[in-house]
Amino acid sequence: LAQVTTTSAKQELGDLAIFGGQATFSRVRSTSNLVQPDFERFLHYSRTFFDARHYSNAGPLSRRLEQQLTAFHEVEHCVAFSSGFWGLVLAARALALPDRHEVIMPSLTYRRMGDAVALAGLVPHFCEVDENTLAPTAATMSACINNSTALLLAAHPIVNTCDAVSLGELATDAGLPILFDSVESVYETSQGRRVGSFADAELFSMHASKLVNGFEGGYVTTPDRVLAARLRDMRGFGFRVQDRVECLGTNAKLNEVHAAMALASLDDVDAQVAKNRARYRVYSDRLAGVEGARVVPFDEQQRPGYKTVVAELTPAWPLSRAQTLEILHAEGMLARPYYAPALHTKHTSYPTVASDLSMTEMLAERFMLLPCGYQTSEADVASICDLLAFLSAHGAAIGTRTSGASR
Amino acid sequence: VKHALSDFAICGGPPIFEKDVPVGQLYFPDWERYSEGMRGIFDREYYTNHGPLARELEERVAELLGVRHALCVTNGTIALMMAAIALEIKGKVLIPAFTFIATAQSLTWAGAQPLFCDIDARTYQMTPSTAGAAWEEDVEAVLPVNLWGSTCGPTALEDFAARKGAKLYFDSAQAFGIVADGRPVGSFGTLEVFSFHATKTLSSAEGGCITTNDDALASRLRNIRSSYGAGETVAVPITANGRFSEAQACLALLSLDDLDAHIKQNQTLFQRYLDGLAGLGGLTVFEPVNVDRSNYQSLACEVDADEFGLSRDDLWQLLRAEGVNARRYFYPGAHRSEPYNRTLQPGAGSLPTTDRLCRRVLQLPLGSFVSEEMVDQITDLVRSAVTHAPELARALRG
Repeated sequence: LAQVTTTSAKQELGDLAIFGGQATFSRVRSTSNLVQPDFERFLHYSRTFFDARHYSNAGPLSRRLEQQLTAFHEVEHCVAFSSGFWGLVLAARALALPDRHEVIMPSLTYRRMGDAVALAGLVPHFCEVDENTLAPTAATMSACINNSTALLLAAHPIVNTCDAVSLGELATDAGLPILFDSVESVYETSQGRRVGSFADAELFSMHASKLVNGFEGGYVTTPDRVLAARLRDMRGFGFRVQDRVECLGTNAKLNEVHAAMALASLDDVDAQVAKNRARYRVYSDRLAGVEGARVVPFDEQQRPGYKTVVAELTPAWPLSRAQTLEILHAEGMLARPYYAPALHTKHTSYPTVASDLSMTEMLAERFMLLPCGYQTSEADVASICDLLAFLSAHGAAIGTRTSGASR
Repeated sequence: VKHALSDFAICGGPPIFEKDVPVGQLYFPDWERYSEGMRGIFDREYYTNHGPLARELEERVAELLGVRHALCVTNGTIALMMAAIALEIKGKVLIPAFTFIATAQSLTWAGAQPLFCDIDARTYQMTPSTAGAAWEEDVEAVLPVNLWGSTCGPTALEDFAARKGAKLYFDSAQAFGIVADGRPVGSFGTLEVFSFHATKTLSSAEGGCITTNDDALASRLRNIRSSYGAGETVAVPITANGRFSEAQACLALLSLDDLDAHIKQNQTLFQRYLDGLAGLGGLTVFEPVNVDRSNYQSLACEVDADEFGLSRDDLWQLLRAEGVNARRYFYPGAHRSEPYNRTLQPGAGSLPTTDRLCRRVLQLPLGSFVSEEMVDQITDLVRSAVTHAPELARALRG
């Protein structure tokens, strides 16, 4: 850490970009992972589909990727998709109990989750999350179970995981299928067991912003052979064999170029996590002494991927989150609010169910994602921490100078 | 050339092609252009989310097709579904049953219902007449399909939809590069949807595109596709993740550079088939109709078993044994496939031309895997099969 030096520490309010000072970064540092695998590895993999002249439709690379991911997650089956979103739509539809329509899911989660559930022909029923883990629990999901419940959809939070074992037990006891949204937990373990090996199925994304960069893409892991076969049918228009449609399907196939990228990215994943950990350490160490800002810690008794760094703005923080984000954005730091607004507060064209979600509403105002990933160096992180320290120290004056709206 | 019965692979002879020849199109840039294009993406470190190549592609496609907007999408099926959502269609949509199943599936995912109509016996396409025969008062939209290098005659269908007061958009998955009724396919109806799948004339491995001249509709589609490239934020019923990566855009741009050459090669091969199959009774090649310029996307033919001597399925099996991966598009027809067959009432919804073609149509290889010599091998095989038709039919039945 001593070797990490910052380049443009702010000395006075006028140095802030919102007040006309020079922005810290000329090229934005985002919260997206944007990991770049080795180009020669990417070409090496590309050669396989190129020589086979097989560009999509369960080509050699997408099959190889599925095999490698089953080993990575220590699970029996993996089905690759054109995106995590469509993997979710198809998995939810395949898993939902017939003649029931509600999917119990957190409201403090991915902004498109409700849309995916609705496209599957189902109704989101939003549940509460735990204040400390930001995750749905057996208790918060159990409270929503009723005669219409078709599926439990438990989303792992961005930092650490749900209690996957307890949620699995809840599903078993209630006789309900359970699907995990594990998009943010690719590398993680939960109670010592690899994420990806829990539940009836787990969903992952290979969007460029995720741990495994496949340009676009996604996959579902499952121990269930029948479900895996069903999902393969559904992603390819419902065809099981040529000229025979078994079920309603669509096109959610992963193409071979994206599979080549994902394979090259997967080769680098351990090295990438080491770099993620180094960035996380800089954030943790540098923000430890900054009043009002707390890095949400990874549970290092498990196996974190350290992909995304989340900070909590405590009551001691002198600015609102919106003000803070505005200042950071002006500096070229594309920090983002943590899952805000909560899904149940958004207007939708489809029906949803929600009860009292006051904890979710409170939490949705409190956290933010800090820049990280491949394009953010440790020195960049140090600069961001210096800025946050400056804001902590001068927040009241900044608030007065902007709108007088400091809290 | 296979002279004796024992020469045929189904009778124990060696297959003509050791490796299966797919139906096509499967054009792809050479390795150097592919590597160079991908290196550019790595240099820019911009992988998806409406990147510079996606924007360039949209501009070029819009210019080429003479439309105000082109929106690139994950694939053609998701694009069709997004189109139904953007058009806010919730009721019945009239489509030909003689189409790839994705046309119907896109409607089901969007919460609409396909209503199947027949096709014209001469053009093999949906027409105002076949649409009118299946018309029901609560039909909300018409979705014709431009098949196999032909079109359904888009101007006439525009007139039909206008008379009925129905929305009209086109499934032009197979129709990139076609000119019809005096202008490029892409600007008819409210919008048109193309596929950029590897089997199409313009390929991004997987991909698709929506073209429209309607500014408001384009805004809705961009907002449905994703947050990136959404432009002005407008209210949409739902979002659907239809993002198109930079890798896909790179492939499509390279394919666009080669489009004329690909269409020319298709046309050469198509003509070779026509010459090679000329005069064969009971086998009719579908030649492009309702076009000023075809893209010669597919070589499809109809097999009349009584006259030809072999059924379509006989010929299909025979060809497959020889390494010709001919396809029975569209067997058994969208209306007889899950889940739409469940609502098909016995005796009702009769679609005689569709059902006839579903039993008789065969698609033969055309595209990057095929040379003129290979076409000759395939057409010679078909001709030899005719001379041995009775024995081959018996052999196929064991």
